[in-house]
Amino acid sequence: MLKRFFLIFFSSLCLHSFAQETFPVNGVVTEFEPIYAFINAHIVSPDKEIVNGILLIQGNKILEADTVVQIPTGAIVKDLKGDYIYASFIDLNTQYGLPKTAEREHSNRPQYTSKKEGAFHWNQAIHPEIIAANNFSNNKKAKDFRSIGFGTVLTHHKNGIARGAGCLVLLSEEKEHQNILIKNAAAHYSFSKGNSSQKYPTSLMGSIALLRQTYLDAEWYSQGVEDINYSFEAFNSQQDLPQIFQVKDAFDISRIYKIADEFEVDYIIIGNGDEYKQLDIIKQTDFSFILPLNFPESYEVSNPEEAENITLEQLKHWESAPFNPLILVKNDIAFSFTSSGNKNPKDFLKNLRKAIKKGLSKKDALAALTTIPSQQLNAENLIGTIEKDKYANFIICSKDIFEDGIIYENWIAGKKYVVNKKQEIDIRGYYTLNSDEFENELVAIKGSKTKPKTTIYLLDSLSLPTSFEGNTISINTKSGNFRSMGIFSDGKIEGRYQDENGIFHHFSMVSDSIFEEKGKELKVETDSIIPKIWMPNKAYGFTEKPSDETVIFKNATVWTNEAEGILENTDVVIKDGSIVAVGKELDLSEILDKDEVVKTIDATGKHITCGIIDEHSHIAIRRGVNEGSQAVTAEVRIGDVINANDINIYRQLSGGVTVSQLLHGSANPIGGQSALIKLRWGSSAEEMKIDGADGFIKFALGENVKQSNWGDFNRVRFPQTRMGVEQVFYDAFYRARKYQLEWDLYNAMPSSMKRKSESPREDLELNALVEILKSERFVTCHSYVQSEINMLMHVADSMHFNINTFTHILEGYKVAEKMKNHGAGGSTFSDWWAYKFEVNDAIPYNATLMNNAGVVTAINSDDAEMGRRLNQEAAKAVKYGGTTEQDAWKMVTLNPAKLLHLDNRMGSIKVGKDADIVIWSDNPLSIYAKAEQTYVDGICLFDKDRDIQLRKHNLKERMRIIKKMISAKGKKKKPQKKEEKLYHCDTLEP
Amino acid sequence: MIRKLILHIFCIAFVQITFAQSHILYLGAVAHLGNGLKIENSAISVEDGKFSLVADANVIRINPTAYDTIIKLDGKRIYPAFIVPNTTLGITEIGRVRATHDYRETGALNPNVRSLIAYNTDSKIITTVRSNGVMLAQVTPRGGTVSGQSSIIYLDGNNWEDAVLRADDGLHLNWPSSYHSSDWWGKSGDSKKNEKYNKRTDEIKTFFTKAGAYAKSANIMDLRMESMKGLFDGNKTLYIHADYAKDMRKAIEMANKLHIKKIVIVGAEEALKIVDLLKEKNISLILNRVHRLPDSQDSPIDEPFTQAKKLKEADILFCLSYEGNMEAMGARNLPFSAGTTVAYGLDYEDAISAITLNTAKILGIEKQVGSIEFGKDATFFISSGDALDMRTNNVEQAYIKGVAIDLNNHQKELFEKYRIR
Repeated sequence: MLKRFFLIFFSSLCLHSFAQETFPVNGVVTEFEPIYAFINAHIVSPDKEIVNGILLIQGNKILEADTVVQIPTGAIVKDLKGDYIYASFIDLNTQYGLPKTAEREHSNRPQYTSKKEGAFHWNQAIHPEIIAANNFSNNKKAKDFRSIGFGTVLTHHKNGIARGAGCLVLLSEEKEHQNILIKNAAAHYSFSKGNSSQKYPTSLMGSIALLRQTYLDAEWYSQGVEDINYSFEAFNSQQDLPQIFQVKDAFDISRIYKIADEFEVDYIIIGNGDEYKQLDIIKQTDFSFILPLNFPESYEVSNPEEAENITLEQLKHWESAPFNPLILVKNDIAFSFTSSGNKNPKDFLKNLRKAIKKGLSKKDALAALTTIPSQQLNAENLIGTIEKDKYANFIICSKDIFEDGIIYENWIAGKKYVVNKKQEIDIRGYYTLNSDEFENELVAIKGSKTKPKTTIYLLDSLSLPTSFEGNTISINTKSGNFRSMGIFSDGKIEGRYQDENGIFHHFSMVSDSIFEEKGKELKVETDSIIPKIWMPNKAYGFTEKPSDETVIFKNATVWTNEAEGILENTDVVIKDGSIVAVGKELDLSEILDKDEVVKTIDATGKHITCGIIDEHSHIAIRRGVNEGSQAVTAEVRIGDVINANDINIYRQLSGGVTVSQLLHGSANPIGGQSALIKLRWGSSAEEMKIDGADGFIKFALGENVKQSNWGDFNRVRFPQTRMGVEQVFYDAFYRARKYQLEWDLYNAMPSSMKRKSESPREDLELNALVEILKSERFVTCHSYVQSEINMLMHVADSMHFNINTFTHILEGYKVAEKMKNHGAGGSTFSDWWAYKFEVNDAIPYNATLMNNAGVVTAINSDDAEMGRRLNQEAAKAVKYGGTTEQDAWKMVTLNPAKLLHLDNRMGSIKVGKDADIVIWSDNPLSIYAKAEQTYVDGICLFDKDRDIQLRKHNLKERMRIIKKMISAKGKKKKPQKKEEKLYHCDTLEP
Repeated sequence: MIRKLILHIFCIAFVQITFAQSHILYLGAVAHLGNGLKIENSAISVEDGKFSLVADANVIRINPTAYDTIIKLDGKRIYPAFIVPNTTLGITEIGRVRATHDYRETGALNPNVRSLIAYNTDSKIITTVRSNGVMLAQVTPRGGTVSGQSSIIYLDGNNWEDAVLRADDGLHLNWPSSYHSSDWWGKSGDSKKNEKYNKRTDEIKTFFTKAGAYAKSANIMDLRMESMKGLFDGNKTLYIHADYAKDMRKAIEMANKLHIKKIVIVGAEEALKIVDLLKEKNISLILNRVHRLPDSQDSPIDEPFTQAKKLKEADILFCLSYEGNMEAMGARNLPFSAGTTVAYGLDYEDAISAITLNTAKILGIEKQVGSIEFGKDATFFISSGDALDMRTNNVEQAYIKGVAIDLNNHQKELFEKYRIR
């Protein structure tokens, strides 16, 4: 024992000498570190609870914690009498002790190059070289953290895309030298460019591309290139640290997953509290999470008219968010908690308890606060549990912290920080008061243990202001005739009071009986049933995902878009997502297996067509349709930012649309890559993408790309004229050619040579351009006037590729023959014009004229509203110029299918094609026609009768939650109107 | 080309001379009268620029000798001129070219500015609108709190003076919205409650109260106040642009308190929430563009399309407008927005009224135009098919006060030029 003691003594001495060794000492050195022994405590950890345990600490470390521990002689013993001890909590998402992030510098003039001086990354949002530890200093916020149980935090600069290294620090008031536990504890990332004033990136897809390119560049840099770049050096050096990624919402998770997959990184996700919406995706990943506990406030719903502004999506989130941790536990997803996101630190514990009430186990909650965060940071040998040799970080609570326990003390690295002074004495009870003025007067001391209230019945039947600290009580009457001070000891209070004349009297109060507090049981909410998550979790979402059906539509007018034309009294059969038969009076026994369940729909008087295909759409896109910050942004991908929850998907299904090309905007000559989606309402963004579809990319010409209408400050970016636009294309493609050559040469090397030579830098922008040159990616070009259309065809011809589609193409009718000869299709507006100078000669006859000239002609929307009436827009080709009805119909179905290279699977009613089918009430070109049912891959995703049911269902759900909200406690916020973001080609982000 | 042009001019001159002075019978068309009635086999005559007969050819006996010309219109349709209210047509030309914008004066309170004098009769857009049957427009300024005064103008004429039907018919007040977008970039998110709402509505009340006092007593000239006098004697309508129920209630309350004689609500997105009030106060509506998205993600997806039918059922007088993005060039699609209301339950003839007689009543021009009725101006058109359906809308002839108007336009010319190649 002695030996052991000596050892401990010695080691603690060592521990303590390091940090301050270099510091001169004023006076004599304090070397002695006593041992503290905490006895009679419940020591709680996620997997065990030591009842009446003993905890020994010395210096900054734990010596021992167990039921039976020999208490060394000389130890300072603290009897906790049933108090609870937990390891102090760990918060991995803070900016504690770091300078506040500066606001973004605002300037009307666009800034295209970095303002940061030095050998760093070209983009201000990429700054892995920023090391939090270098800027760390203790500050007063530590007290806030300590007061809610935290002992250690990971702190990092919450700014930028590659944010730099975070630092794990203790929240004690010792010197920073001792507080920094791990200097570089994690590398941090996000999709937000933070305070970077540089233009690029302006969109989410731009952020994604920039980060991907950074991974590529850093790897290329690691082969030892000539230039020095400290950002890449830092980036590479941080790759072995835990990688922490902050999301904006749960829909970012699948985006991060794609990056994780591409670059073989494992991320820890700082979540948003809405992860429950993306469970299926999260389950595919290995991500663990850092979750906020900032549940949405409830809304003030007393005014029913105002309350209508709250969307069902908001209501459902309000109800579901407190279940988020529980839902993740049930799905075996690991997470820690962060207090970040709570404006008032106290709300953290409140919300933690709320999560417990919703069914989260205390064990899981404690793990999320202690063991899991320590594991996430690979710091489990330092912190997270009350075990030998770990830091003496623990909190002492009055009771179970997950119920209503109060934190008395938060010990950090063996130093005590008092949070709430423990009131050892319970002074409450009934007393008999005696003095020279009173004789056997009854006194009652009630209230709470720390804030008792006194009633002296003789003086005032109301309770009197009472203060109680330690063992000293002070009771006053409001009139001032009894101002007293007494000391409590052994059931008796002895003291003096001063009367209104200033004379002191001695008094004594003897306890007759103690005050019995009414036991407060923890109320478990009765409705702790996990709310049903809809797909998507908003109005018109599905509770159960519909599946594909075998259906026979009988006796319809079928617009085949094939040589057969329009067939009267015809049946169509769909099965397994495909069209399996088209014909009159079909005999099902010849088509289907005997026992097959088939639904029969009488379509007498109805028209059946294939689904509408919108060649040019900007619905279902999140956080920016344009990465217009550079003239060429071929690296960005709309496919990264699909918004599967956009209500416009459902609305457009109701207009018979089944397929959309989601295009990048037209703010630059070479924009981003498109996404081709089927409107699979209720599915995830990735599930909406059309499997095996060809890649497309947006080009643009004219006023938007030369920034004609962007105001006077935007006169910097090249090009500013149509002359310049041509040169941008030539420049881009010459660069791409050179790049392709470099890679071809490199790839042709034998592997022995490859190993010795430096590989070319992989460039996402040039990759996309090379794909175009190789005809592996196809161009949809926003265009208006004939001069520029002609120009681009010349550029393409000279580079030996094709312009697949000119979109808008409002002067296509002037160069239709050239387009036909080049092989370009046209996808135009039916009748838009006059919205800018370059559409002065736009005519509604354009579609007809192009079609007549043999150009594959489509009519598109570019607009969420028009997108659900494309059948009417097609009809305008009949009105303007006299296109036949069948040809007009092809302009929104078969022709766009051709332009998108999907015509082998979609665009007509033909056996073998996808069962993307619409049942119309009337001739689909008529203004009176309504889509009654829309099938995508044989799944009925819109049905006019079901739509009515869904509305009722929405209302029922709304009223159910509002009822809950009325009785909800706590702060309430005023309902606000939810605005929807609608994108057009020229929508720009700040 | 020149020859063609001359021929064209000649034709028009001819038409004007003969038609203006003769008695013409249009026989056999399906006539949609605008007043809710329809005649399957109509006999409609025009004399001195007015309808001199509107009858069912199956019922009356026709004396062929009474007419200079009888035009047989079997299978065709006759409609009263469609009217687009609340539009910037004629005072804007090219969306992104500021020099062509004459609809928004600077400052918040401009009751004295008049759209009429900025109206460009030679706008290229106008000819594309009237060739779809929209032949009258209430040309309306925009912006500020009080945008100015609108005028009702024929979409034909050499100058505004000749083209105007009713000058300065009313003032346009943009009632503050209780909510406004939280982000001027239009990012999605919560829109904020308008914190200055009470302040702004108080300012409006003060301004209109002053105008009321001026109308009774002023002896000095104040251009703003002078322009508002008509509100208090019934000569001018106050068009209140408001969408939310709360805003409409407040605006109506103010107008009533100040004894403004005639008010019309423009926009009225949430009109169905205040049907009782509208009925009680006998207030009519100029509705938002039918072809719009629902107000919220929770709204019924067809809410904008069914609004007209529901208001009709509630017996509220309303007409359709085309306000919004690209409203000037889009005005030619007004007929189709009426078509959509039919698809969503409104009776066909009621839909016609919503762009003809109802509009005329609301704008106070129903004595001259809005329906095909005896004694009214012969301002109408003939379409070979259903004019509310783009599939069949084909305006072959159109007349203002009996005089044929040119249905050619810039776009048709380009079509002709390039189709021949």
